[in-house]
Amino acid sequence: MAEAGEPKRKKGGVFGVFKDIVYGMSSHEMARHAVRTRASMEHLFILITMGDLLGIPILPPYYSLRLLPHVTPQIASWKRRMLRERDVTDVLG
Amino acid sequence: MSLRAVFESQPGRRYIMFGGKGGLGKTTLSATSAFWLASQGKRVLLFSVDPQASLSDIFQRDIFGKGPVPIMRNLWAQEVDADRRIKDYQEEIRKKILDMYGFDRVPEEIDDYIAAASAEPAMEESAIFDAVVDIIVRGDYDYYIYDLVPLGHALYYLSMAKVYDEWINKITHLREDMKQYDQVAATMRREKASEEDQILKELQYIKARINASSQILTDKARTAFFFVVVPEEMIILDTLKAAGLFARFDVPISGYIVNRVLPPDLGRGRIPPYLRNRIAMQEKYLAEIASTFGDAVRAYVPEMERDVTGLPMIERLAERLFAGPGATA
Repeated sequence: MAEAGEPKRKKGGVFGVFKDIVYGMSSHEMARHAVRTRASMEHLFILITMGDLLGIPILPPYYSLRLLPHVTPQIASWKRRMLRERDVTDVLG
Repeated sequence: MSLRAVFESQPGRRYIMFGGKGGLGKTTLSATSAFWLASQGKRVLLFSVDPQASLSDIFQRDIFGKGPVPIMRNLWAQEVDADRRIKDYQEEIRKKILDMYGFDRVPEEIDDYIAAASAEPAMEESAIFDAVVDIIVRGDYDYYIYDLVPLGHALYYLSMAKVYDEWINKITHLREDMKQYDQVAATMRREKASEEDQILKELQYIKARINASSQILTDKARTAFFFVVVPEEMIILDTLKAAGLFARFDVPISGYIVNRVLPPDLGRGRIPPYLRNRIAMQEKYLAEIASTFGDAVRAYVPEMERDVTGLPMIERLAERLFAGPGATA
């Protein structure tokens, strides 16, 4: 993707900058929302497959082990999110 | 219909299982059927996944955890070491994590989780049935005789398989939703959509494995499940109960085999009252079996004068059990 995008940007010049501004004004917030929802879902997914890590026995260990390698990097942030205290600013944020 | 007639009239049924309570002679009947099929020129694998399996005992050699061991022409026997399999599986997961991320060692909490997973009660059943799928999908043999299907395990697994299946459907759905969000974000940022979701692929693999393993138990075209009973009241009652439960999970029950039948002419001579009573009791329960299971009884297997171990003894029993078409030994 980077290789394909790089030369285009150089050629694009002013037009490229203009496109970025439009993106920032219109879609950036939506894209951010999509990414955040995606992250929440990822955490939900880890919860229903690896719940045992938090002492919540959820479904079958034999097969959930197969998924473990794929979510290993996310486990730490997931645990932090699941176990952190929550307050009213979470709702506002 | 005799046991022989069942095999001959339904040649498509290649997964043969004998179920029943412990100590009724499932291993004896598995080995005898395996012997007969092998002597008919079929390639037969007789296997067991139970740690208390007695294939080693009946063939009088240690085959535990050694893969398929040739017993005679066309006949192989295998005892799967389920504990070993779980350990290997855990090791495989650890190795995958190390390979995927280039770690020196598996993060502690992840490692703890992998270690703790083996203590889960469902772990063993899943590992066992996964092992069975492994053995059967290879398709190296004409017949697979699954010795010692522990009734509890099989029922538990079948009921789990249904729950698993729905569970997998749900999380597959969630995963697909996540993919859509990925695509939305990528489109808005004018990026190329992310690479294929490996987890989705794993989920599909898991679903296929679970379906394959429950199908081995429930495939009407390929599976024949026999219950082994002996002429005793409790065994008859328990078998009826188990048969009802199995039928509910669509296990194709191919008939009942009555084991440990005392020779009827034994009662003719002068015998002590103890033996006379046993014979009378047996006659009563044989009548009950006949009226309960009717023509689903495939064979009456005589109580031999000594226990059935070693090939010569298995051969003798096979000769009686599979004698001529239509015979019931």
